[in-house]
Amino acid sequence: MPTIRIQNVSKSYINSEGEPTNALSDINLTINEGEFVSIVGPSGCGKSTLLEIVAGLMPRTSGDVYLDDKLVEGTSKDIGVVFQDASLYPWRTIKRNIGLGMDIAKIPRKEQEEKIARYIDLMNLNGFENKFPAQLSGGMRQRAGIARTLVMNPKVVLMDEPFSAVDHLTRCSLQDELLRIHKEEKKTLLFVTHDINEAVYLSDRVILLTPRPGTIQKEYKIKRDYEMKRDDVTLIELAGKIMADITRGRDYNENVEYMI
Amino acid sequence: MAGKVKTAKKRKKFTLINLLQWLTLAALLIFMQVEVKSGRISKVFLAAPTDIIEKGYKMTVDGTLLPHLWATVKEVLAGFGLSAAVGIGLGFIWVLFPKLEEYMNVFCSAIMAVPKTAILPLLILWFGIGFKSKIVLIFLFGVFTILYNTLTGAKQTRIEYLKVARVFEANRFQTVFKVMVPAALPSIFNGLKLSAATALTGVIFAEMQSAREGLGYLLTEAQNNLNTPRVFFVIILVTVISVLFVKLISTLEYSVCHKWTRV
Ligand SMILES: Nc1ncnc2c1ncn2[C@@H]1O[C@H](COP(=O)(O)OP(=O)(O)OP(=O)(O)O)[C@@H](O)[C@H]1O
Ligand SMILES: [Mg+2]
Repeated sequence: MPTIRIQNVSKSYINSEGEPTNALSDINLTINEGEFVSIVGPSGCGKSTLLEIVAGLMPRTSGDVYLDDKLVEGTSKDIGVVFQDASLYPWRTIKRNIGLGMDIAKIPRKEQEEKIARYIDLMNLNGFENKFPAQLSGGMRQRAGIARTLVMNPKVVLMDEPFSAVDHLTRCSLQDELLRIHKEEKKTLLFVTHDINEAVYLSDRVILLTPRPGTIQKEYKIKRDYEMKRDDVTLIELAGKIMADITRGRDYNENVEYMI
Repeated sequence: MAGKVKTAKKRKKFTLINLLQWLTLAALLIFMQVEVKSGRISKVFLAAPTDIIEKGYKMTVDGTLLPHLWATVKEVLAGFGLSAAVGIGLGFIWVLFPKLEEYMNVFCSAIMAVPKTAILPLLILWFGIGFKSKIVLIFLFGVFTILYNTLTGAKQTRIEYLKVARVFEANRFQTVFKVMVPAALPSIFNGLKLSAATALTGVIFAEMQSAREGLGYLLTEAQNNLNTPRVFFVIILVTVISVLFVKLISTLEYSVCHKWTRV
């Protein structure tokens, strides 16, 4: 049951002088329903670009993206996006930020109450409903940003380095909450990160991109048939392997699936 | 912004510098008083503080001041209100319909470039020397500052905020009114504060040139009669009004924005 199919997607940005920058080159990737896929790679390799193309926020130069066999053209109710610094609207309270999508969809406030309350609860934001984003910690803002996306119940959630702006401990607890939600809500997740340990801890599959123009250098599958701890030896080993592959770079482009 | 200023003021202690500032002010006033009263400086050039207070008190209680004060305040409020409404309104219409901006921008820039005081003779020709010509002048003084501040504020909306709106499939109007308007508020208030001060400058100038009432008229009249204490009194009054006016807008800004701009 594929959910997202990325076919031969390439992207080059054209600057004002008309010179192209090749950000992505011939990406082929299929993400199955309920799967948690992370994308890692060196800075500037096109991770955010790929995510925004899948979100329908950015036109691709060539290739196609399908969601459930339907071509993605522009944004869609089935795809939710969580941005790096949460991008909450500072003039809205936490509650109103979470209700933003429903406000835009013109759902009456009364009908929103129950759903908002559920996600306030799920994301441990009780007592902060009527606070403004500036009054919250970075971790709380990030949780509110996730709630704002999940409350719309999208099939697919895309996240672009959602935890990079918070400290290490907050990041760990946010990761655990994300895993819990992934399990409870059975969402398909595409997750961009710089942090390889984060990627292996969270994902069913890690995709490593080469430096720009980004192509898929390697895929790593992670069998998650038992509850894994952060210090699980297989995870640590895999993270080490990915690190080694990154330093080796694109020359070592064998593209065998790594099974552990 | 306003919030920050307020808290900063509260925390401030009375320092040696403050003491020196007050002493300097007192010295200046005493100097004016002594020099004018002793006749060393002519009454025409400078006024003794006691005379300023006396003249000001007199014209307040005998009813000469009030109609003029009211005339000026009325002109400022109406002209400023009009420039605020048109400036902000047009700003968002341009954001909604960029083609309209493309078409109108060159004309607005051209009118904006004209020193407004130079148009006064024309305005008087068209609208007479009363209320109307003043309003149009204040309008021209303020509207472009407000318009371009609104426009810049809206265009500088963080790209992430706009992406969020797109992900939730907001339409054009929703994007403008739910995202760009609130995002532009600080910039809009900046424009309002800037043009509030110039609105008063404009109206005083216009009243000094040609009018039968208003504080500017009072100023010219007092000058013609060599009534220097009265000139001083009106200048002080105009300054106070100007400061209060800007303060009023800051207060409004504070009440609208402080919740989310400051912790
Ligand atoms: N709007 C743009 N115009 C031109 N070039 C761009 C634009 N956005 C990104 N790029 C270029 O495309 C390349 C890929 O950018 P992208 O933001 O997707 O990288 P990334 O992998 O997300 O990087 P990071 O890990 O630093 O976030 C970069 O080299 C960047 O300079
Ligand atoms: Mg990025």
